[in-house]
Amino acid sequence: MIDNDSVIKLEDISFSYTGSDIQVLDHLNLEINKKDRIGLIAPNGSGKTTLLHTIMGLCKPDSGTIKVFGKILNNEKDFLQVRSKVGLLFQDSDDQLFCPTVLEDVAFGPLNLGFSRTEAIDIAEKTLKRLGIQLFEHSVTHKLSGGQKRLVALASVLAMEPEVLLLDEPTAGLDNKVKKKLIHILNSLDISYFVISHEFDFANAVTDKIYSMENGRILRDDEIHIHHHEHVHQHGKHPHIHK
Amino acid sequence: MHISEGVLSGPVLATGAVFAFAGTGMGLKKIDYDRIVHVAILASAFFVASLIHINIGPASVHLILNGIVGLLLGFAAIPAILTALILQAVFFQYGGLTTLGVNVVVMAVPAVLAHYLFLPMLGKSPTLTFIAGFLAGLFSILFSSILLGLALWFTNQNFFETSLAIITAYIPVMIIEGIVTGFCVTFLLKVYPEIIPKKK
Amino acid sequence: MVEENFAYGRSFIHKLDPKIRIIASIVLSFATALCDNLYLAMIYSFISIFLILMAGLNTIDVVKRLKPLFWFLLMIWIILPLTFEGDILYRFYGFKITGQGVVLCIKITIKSISILFLFTALIATMTVASLGNGLHRIHVPDKMVFLVLMTYRYISVIEQEYKRLLRAAKFRGFNPGTNLHSYKTFAYLAGMLFVRASLRAQRVHQAMLCRGFNQKFHTLDDYPPNRLNSIFLMGICGASASLVILEMIWVEI
Repeated sequence: MIDNDSVIKLEDISFSYTGSDIQVLDHLNLEINKKDRIGLIAPNGSGKTTLLHTIMGLCKPDSGTIKVFGKILNNEKDFLQVRSKVGLLFQDSDDQLFCPTVLEDVAFGPLNLGFSRTEAIDIAEKTLKRLGIQLFEHSVTHKLSGGQKRLVALASVLAMEPEVLLLDEPTAGLDNKVKKKLIHILNSLDISYFVISHEFDFANAVTDKIYSMENGRILRDDEIHIHHHEHVHQHGKHPHIHK
Repeated sequence: MHISEGVLSGPVLATGAVFAFAGTGMGLKKIDYDRIVHVAILASAFFVASLIHINIGPASVHLILNGIVGLLLGFAAIPAILTALILQAVFFQYGGLTTLGVNVVVMAVPAVLAHYLFLPMLGKSPTLTFIAGFLAGLFSILFSSILLGLALWFTNQNFFETSLAIITAYIPVMIIEGIVTGFCVTFLLKVYPEIIPKKK
Repeated sequence: MVEENFAYGRSFIHKLDPKIRIIASIVLSFATALCDNLYLAMIYSFISIFLILMAGLNTIDVVKRLKPLFWFLLMIWIILPLTFEGDILYRFYGFKITGQGVVLCIKITIKSISILFLFTALIATMTVASLGNGLHRIHVPDKMVFLVLMTYRYISVIEQEYKRLLRAAKFRGFNPGTNLHSYKTFAYLAGMLFVRASLRAQRVHQAMLCRGFNQKFHTLDDYPPNRLNSIFLMGICGASASLVILEMIWVEI
């Protein structure tokens, strides 16, 4: 049976780094469907980034299956085909933007997809305009501010017209103004996305469901009760989970 | 370590350019597309690290660290050093266009030799690792300064005293580079051994 | 640190195609370097000063760029006149200064300053992005162009990391001096830079794979054909060629 609504489906994924006994991902299951807007809130070091890298085929799981658009992905060639449809926004924009100028960076993806130079430039310009940052087109990437870099990185991912977006801590190090802009942009997208964040307010503002992660597994919202209240212990400041 | 513009003779400049060209070609061939990012960002680190100033008494010298680059990159050190030299010329005007070839040879040939001479000694024991690093650092600067002296001497034999003066002036740098490279290699092997190329 | 101070100007030179500027500076630099005649060397220095003026650069900043050269020139001015063999110009306390030594020093000084000036006027007046584009169009291999662009891109990122590390060390009381502890600390800082560079390289490479990198690099900049480009290049090449020929005839006489 082919499930037409399923975009990404992880089944029984286990992963541990070589030379380490710790199971970063432990028989993890996750399903992202069309139009899903899912947030994932979990403490540092719980394997969130590893999870995203597994979906992209950057980390090879020890066991389990990864299905994207109903197709099981096994080798580098399979992943190569889906990478254009699954956009990943990295935690550090400096990792993602490596071209000299903004326009070249945003056009890099479309050029790799086989668009001609003029088409790629056209796509890049449109994407920058869509995010309201067309003024940076000819700026030198490394001279931009942190917030500007994040938006350009997002543009560089969106320029490939992905069908699903994975975002790794998109608000890390951003001020409130850029955060608001990001919330606005994400809410105006009509593709499904999966956001990792440690900021409850942000995740709440851009998603419909919030998951959590513990001991290498995903906890769905019916299994968790994220809440926000003051405790005598210091975790009270952050949304957290009571079992 | 740079030789200035306007000093060397045509044949010396040409010899430097030919060797640098061949070496860069060989180096580029050894860098496949999966490794090119690694070489580029290590070259950035080399560029930044070579701006670190270290005190010797009242004076200070900046690190050169071509020994480390050689240990980490092997033949790929040649294009990496060429890249750093181009950028240094653009930003700080250390040397210019005509001496680029000679300067690449001066800096990169000792680096590549250090890779093949001292890499096999790394990791045998903490003392031996430090000694290998120390020798790699010391030898790279010594050999670089000798090459620089030779470039002058081949230009005009009257440069003999100048060459000797340059080599002598680099003696304290050799010792400091040796110490720094020794500690640096020890550090890398402890903290992130994956960065050290596997012995063949 | 890596500021492109000269790259954003509106002069005639800034408008020239990077490719033309690279070729012109190579031709003129080598012609100057190979010149062995004091008077012709002076003509090259006039050309380079003319180019600096044309580029409309801040004179103080241009002269500041000569600082690394200054130390080398100082050294040869101390050593060469005393050690170079030739006719004795002046003698004191057993030291002798030779005419040839002094002439050679003057020649080296003029030539080296000229070559650096014309490098500043022609190459330092473009962004590294344009330099990469120009190198690509004179058929420098893709990998080499990519190395230059990528290395430049991450210098400022790594420099920030270095500053953070050094600040953290200083907050913990690190006071650099001439001792083993200081050398060890700097060695660890440098080591840390290499570690972070390597880890970052892995992430950058992953990010490139995610965006469909297929082992091909593309450049976007287009430089419309401009008659000034070919006129400038012919002017520079013509001047260099006539000076080289002039020197050959001069030597004959």
